[in-house]
Amino acid sequence: MATQVTVKILRYDPEKDKKAHFETYTVEADPLDRILDVLNSIKWYQDGSLTYRRSCAHGVCGSDAMRINGRNRLACKVLVRDVGGDAGKKIQIEPMLGFRILRDLVVDMDPFFEKYKSIKPYLINYEDAPASSERYQSAEDREIFDETTKCILCGACSGSCPPYWAGPDFVGPAAIVNAHRFIFDSRDQGAAERLSILGEGEGVFRCRTVYNCTDACPRNIPVTKAIEQIRRAMLYNR
Amino acid sequence: MSTETKTTQHTHPDPVARTTRRWTRSGGRPRPTGNFELFSWYFFRISGILLLFFALIHLLIMHLLNNVDVIDYNFIVQRWASPLWRTFDIMLLVLALTHGLNGARVLIYDYVHSRGWRTFAVTTLYVVGILFIVLGAQVILTFQPQIQSVAK
Amino acid sequence: MYRGQSGMWLWILHRLTGVGILGFLFLHIADTYLVGFGADYYNELLFLYKNPPFRVLEWVLVGAVLYHGFNGIRLILMDFWDKAVDHHKTLVQITVVAFFVVWLPAGFFMLKPVFFK
Repeated sequence: MATQVTVKILRYDPEKDKKAHFETYTVEADPLDRILDVLNSIKWYQDGSLTYRRSCAHGVCGSDAMRINGRNRLACKVLVRDVGGDAGKKIQIEPMLGFRILRDLVVDMDPFFEKYKSIKPYLINYEDAPASSERYQSAEDREIFDETTKCILCGACSGSCPPYWAGPDFVGPAAIVNAHRFIFDSRDQGAAERLSILGEGEGVFRCRTVYNCTDACPRNIPVTKAIEQIRRAMLYNR
Repeated sequence: MSTETKTTQHTHPDPVARTTRRWTRSGGRPRPTGNFELFSWYFFRISGILLLFFALIHLLIMHLLNNVDVIDYNFIVQRWASPLWRTFDIMLLVLALTHGLNGARVLIYDYVHSRGWRTFAVTTLYVVGILFIVLGAQVILTFQPQIQSVAK
Repeated sequence: MYRGQSGMWLWILHRLTGVGILGFLFLHIADTYLVGFGADYYNELLFLYKNPPFRVLEWVLVGAVLYHGFNGIRLILMDFWDKAVDHHKTLVQITVVAFFVVWLPAGFFMLKPVFFK
């Protein structure tokens, strides 16, 4: 049953606007429509200047992370009825905090990716692989870091993290999760290097256990748990 | 090796306990990441647990078992007649101040980004901190009851 | 404004109570220092603390210490025990309930003699 949905979007065009401001749109939408569908409807039929990122539109590419009713979510995973749009409540859409706004809902992800690269997100192994086969890993060893392999680098966690907002150089939960994926991988030998990066002032010890990251993650990665495991690993191995 | 399928959600082995094997090129322990931030994080937890004991007992005695109506100079004379209470109080003082000042240091690091101002703020913090530890310790350790002035 | 959930509010309160307690601590060290100057000075100061508004502030201080301590226990559990992070919501509820269960009766005992002689 299609209903009228009111949407408030934070708009900002660096070439025209001095500061960001809200604009309100009314859209006809079905309760099972996704927020991304609502954005598309606005862009295609009402205001072509609305700018946002999207790609796969089904929750695996991580392009459309944004603040929906104050919380970081993927626009293609949130349904209109999830945020009360079908009950007449206003839907508020803003870009994520902690990132410089480039335009409308598009934020500058470069610093985010620099921080990701700084923790060496690739397998480090100083021995050659066995000639006859791959580097063997048991199912149990694979289980250990299973959760942190799921990161899609959407930025929802880092964008929800108060120390990340406070800056300036905290690597952020996403970088720590991706470091965890390799640190606890039994085939990897680069734990010492990554731990020493994460042990510095802008590493894991900026985390204040706020838990916003775990709440925000669209892949249900237990981010806080991963960070705690790294801190304990540092403590017990000093 | 077990052949039954495992549900993934509930049986993750503890990574911290299991990963000490291939941590470095030589397979040995990683070089120590013992640094100030690790120490500060750990210190918060240790001092925090101790403070739970000291501070709650202090509050119990001062505000529940007694109260401000009863506490006066004589109360302190009697309390500090015992070396046990002096020790208790000085432990409480040092733990509480260091725990709190470390917290203030963290706030400065989180919110003051300009290097010049940050150095100034942290220095002020250390100076004020040392001053108050000395002030507090001085009175706890050296207090001697004075002859009470004649009631007016 | 980010509409964070319970974890965020607990963190903000933890900071506020921490700063509040530290500020009080400075005051408290200064006032206890007066003991060294003799009964007159010290008892003079205590007259101030006996007033009802200060007694209420005293209760607020007790609340700050209780909250900071109990939330601190929750953080320590999460730091050292994986299962605790899995049961985050339950831990939050326990922390809040435990806080009120201790703080409200404490208020009763502390403020009853002040307002109901």
